[in-house]
Amino acid sequence: MASSDETPGPMPPGDGSVPPGKSVSIGQHVIDKGAQLLQTLKPIKHMNQHVCTFAMYSHDMTRQIETHHYLSRVNQDFLQCAVYDSDDSNGRLIGVEYIISDRIFETLPAEEQKLWHTHEYEIIAGLWVNPRVPEMVQKPELKNLARTYGKFWCTWQVDRGDRLPLGVPALMMSPQGVNLGMVAPELVKKRDESYGISSKDLEEKRVDIAGPETTMNPYANYWMQTGKGFAIDVELTDMKKTAPFP
Amino acid sequence: MEGINVSKHVEVPGDPTKTGTAILETATATIQGFGPINKIHQHLCAFHFYGHDMTRQVEAHHFCGHQNEEFRQCLIYDRPDADGRLIGLEYIISEDLFLTLPDDEKKFWHSHLYEVKSGVLFMPGVPGPIQRQDHEKVAKTYGKVIHFWQVDRGDTLPLGIPQVMMALTRDGQLDQNLAQDVEKRFGVSFDEEREKRAYMEGPAHGIHPLANAAGKGIHTVLREVDCKPVESVPKVFV
Repeated sequence: MASSDETPGPMPPGDGSVPPGKSVSIGQHVIDKGAQLLQTLKPIKHMNQHVCTFAMYSHDMTRQIETHHYLSRVNQDFLQCAVYDSDDSNGRLIGVEYIISDRIFETLPAEEQKLWHTHEYEIIAGLWVNPRVPEMVQKPELKNLARTYGKFWCTWQVDRGDRLPLGVPALMMSPQGVNLGMVAPELVKKRDESYGISSKDLEEKRVDIAGPETTMNPYANYWMQTGKGFAIDVELTDMKKTAPFP
Repeated sequence: MEGINVSKHVEVPGDPTKTGTAILETATATIQGFGPINKIHQHLCAFHFYGHDMTRQVEAHHFCGHQNEEFRQCLIYDRPDADGRLIGLEYIISEDLFLTLPDDEKKFWHSHLYEVKSGVLFMPGVPGPIQRQDHEKVAKTYGKVIHFWQVDRGDTLPLGIPQVMMALTRDGQLDQNLAQDVEKRFGVSFDEEREKRAYMEGPAHGIHPLANAAGKGIHTVLREVDCKPVESVPKVFV
């Protein structure tokens, strides 16, 4: 039995690199180059937005991380994102987030809605940014995105020191304007400095994005109403098989 | 099982992308940096099944980048098209790294030896001799796959909780309908590749007994927990 809120067992410290391992060999570079020339990698080319924001673990909201989302849009109401812990080429793939419009969200059953979070606060507070994109270019879409809901699973808890992706996926929540949802100022400061931006300035510019309070669904941001988060447990069971395994 | 596992493209609900949105996103695609994404250099096609149910099998298109020689991270789509759905991810590690994992962790990881040697794991569009140089390495690795979107049961949205997936480990497991459909669409022959890959070897220490969940099924369950610190959470009264 293992759980997303359980600390994993120890691993050898190695040289401390995350992940550990030898550098990419010349042979591998050659193979990759060959593949790149011959393969079109269409779903990857379709990713067209980078968003930097923050998230916290739903089973422990005191653990907060800076996230780098690479979004691809499926239609006006749905985006899918690969999430990394940094924007440089060594960024570690830490999870996946799905973003849906409020219209689609309302069609989900309550049990499903509990796993989703809103984006309005983090956009209005200037926490959600599109690095390098001038604010006035971004602004029209922010109003749409402010009404979306997200579902974010984290598969690599780098912030707790995991040098490899250990354990079970964890559900993440989004920043909110109250208590456990407030992002630590030093985390925001560090992020703002690295991009030469100011979340406070953005917050002033985004004042007109706010929607009416009543649009927030009662099941999203589940912790706000209930004081509860979610963990995932893994159980061993009998596998339904068509042939021997392994 | 006729037709059950053959990929079908169900529409994700929602309106077509508006022009204004598309224009902005063309701009962001040009202006912004895509560091981690630019590291993705390979497309691999393989099959996964649910950790507790071998009968539910999924075609999985992996888009992989190397963090180093011993570690790859992959995004998994249900089809290799611009409108493919991002259904999961996989981490692939060398045998050396696998052996450093805590014992309790090893069960989540599956061996790749059979998938590679049987020919069912392949790189679409890449000539055999080039592919095989990579497959020789992959044959010795272990993978951890999580899926978030159960497209095989017709979900038009990524509902529910993450699923730990497993990979094929011997003949007789792969659904033949699914296999033939993939062979046809990608113009490959698994049997022909199998012959050419007969020389490849697996992990130096053999497939670890704790890998592939030691043959057990893996099932995920959702649990509510108290937020900590409990006393400080304000209750929002509607």
